[in-house]
Amino acid sequence: MKRTHGDWLLDSFACFFLAAVSLMMLLPILNVFSKAVSEEWAIVSGKVGIFPVGFQLDTLREVVTSSTFGHAFLLSVGITVIGTALSILFTAVTAYPLSKRFLPAISFVMVLFIFTMLFSGGLIPNYLLMRQLHLINNLWVLILPGLIGVFNLLVIKNYYESLPEALEESARIDGAKTYTILFRIILPLSMPVIATIALFYAVGYWNDYFGPMIYINDTAKQTLQLYLQSVVMEANTATALNKSAEDMMNMSPEGIRSATVIASTVPILIVYPFLQKYFIKGVLIGSVKG
Amino acid sequence: MNAEVQAITESGVGPISRKRARKRESRWRFAWRNRDYYVLLIPGLLFLFLFKYAPMYGIVIAFQDFNIFDGIRGSDWVGLQHFQKLLHSGEFAAVFTNTLLISIYKIVILFPIPIFIALILNEVRLMFFKRIVQTIVYLPHFLSWVIISGLFVTILSPSGGLVNNLIESLGGKSVNFFMSNEYFRSLVVFTAGWKEVGWNAIVFIAAIAGIEQEQYEAAAIDGAGRIRRMLHITLPGILPTIALMFILRLGSVLDAGTEQILTMYNPVVYKTGDVIGTYVYRVGLGKMDYSFSTAVGLFNSVVGFILVMSGNFISRKLLNRSIW
Repeated sequence: MKRTHGDWLLDSFACFFLAAVSLMMLLPILNVFSKAVSEEWAIVSGKVGIFPVGFQLDTLREVVTSSTFGHAFLLSVGITVIGTALSILFTAVTAYPLSKRFLPAISFVMVLFIFTMLFSGGLIPNYLLMRQLHLINNLWVLILPGLIGVFNLLVIKNYYESLPEALEESARIDGAKTYTILFRIILPLSMPVIATIALFYAVGYWNDYFGPMIYINDTAKQTLQLYLQSVVMEANTATALNKSAEDMMNMSPEGIRSATVIASTVPILIVYPFLQKYFIKGVLIGSVKG
Repeated sequence: MNAEVQAITESGVGPISRKRARKRESRWRFAWRNRDYYVLLIPGLLFLFLFKYAPMYGIVIAFQDFNIFDGIRGSDWVGLQHFQKLLHSGEFAAVFTNTLLISIYKIVILFPIPIFIALILNEVRLMFFKRIVQTIVYLPHFLSWVIISGLFVTILSPSGGLVNNLIESLGGKSVNFFMSNEYFRSLVVFTAGWKEVGWNAIVFIAAIAGIEQEQYEAAAIDGAGRIRRMLHITLPGILPTIALMFILRLGSVLDAGTEQILTMYNPVVYKTGDVIGTYVYRVGLGKMDYSFSTAVGLFNSVVGFILVMSGNFISRKLLNRSIW
């Protein structure tokens, strides 16, 4: 097809616009990355733009090897791994009976779940309940209240419903019990959707700030996001790193803050390209839910 | 109910009532025969009642003068006193205004951008360019609000931040965005856009992919250029999706971004940045005014619930699509 004047204009505009949007997304990340690895004098004099001025990894090394960062990082990894595993197990198992709409009272249970998407007790009643359950400053509080996400539950339930019924029937004829069918047939067949949901849960646990901020006030149990917030906002970078002022001589607070932000972003940046296709699939499954 | 009335009035007829009775009996036997499914439901139901419905009981403290040592049973009932206080409180009026302003700015400014990105992205023929753009614009969605505040605190820093360097080199005066009541709301709206505009485009990209190709071919034969095809085929083709997303978005108008603002604000910008969610937190856990905070939270939940329900009602009537 021949390109008209209008086509040429549209193509150039599209390229320009999308390049500008992409640049805007990258700019803050590039700038902070540059500050994390630039020489200290360049940061202090405000010379660092989107490219590093000089190159050093001392600040990053100092941040990553500090005991507070390492502790918070490992804590977040642990919560993310255990939380995701438990969430997947609970969600995938609960979704199975819910996908059997012919069962008496099942649609009522479904309504009970959906209602919690629309209405909740609110902050204080939740806090008081956790207090009563002795979960304040207990790391389980970061996992248990969000164990089943109703949206994820709906996604898995819809996926189960789309599986051919004949599969289950033939297994039943062969004498398989409900539990065997779920764990040996349904779950293995649902791996694509389970992978997607696992990624949603994992990002949720990793990025959670509100939960630890409310329920955890013991600094020994700080998660990475809490620690990061204290470094970013309170600017007490020297105490954050547990260093004396003398050790900090060749590091600016700005550089330390940048290095901390980058060190906490790297895990997501590393896994992101692999996860991309799953995430997009997940959004699409969610948006056509029936 | 109706069936029962019918069964009673026709009790003499026999077959009908017996048939109903048999059906009811077989329903329970049917459930018992399938008890394995209900057993699988137990852990989920325990979770649901313990962590979702038990807190709803705690809402009663909104009608009490709750004292943490006396508990819910020992605290005095005060009726609607906290709600009266809420309605007459200038502080709450300010917080409510902030919430609506930030939310409306977010909707008016940020809602159209993903649609525009999807439309433009659809015009790109170079697949590798398209893929790179998509990879980059989806990325911010996966960063936590704490990280995003960290990024923007750095580039907006009044001492040597990228943006202020630019302002100063253009002869302007440097601005402390995080400490300025004048700019704080813009900062909130901009960073929310930075995080989500790319990600929110996915739904529209998918909707565009669902439009039949024949329509484009027919239009091309009729001599419509690409811009006209975009405006007269693509845009109307995704209109139902746009309407649905818009209704959904309106349903959450009272959530101006609590976690976002909590990571970004400070006492200096409470005047413009304090929203219902952060206010509930400050009053409840900061000042320990449990009852009043719960009342504010309940007001928020009830209005939010009504908004979402009406949104769903409208979308069912108008678009024949239900949210759940």
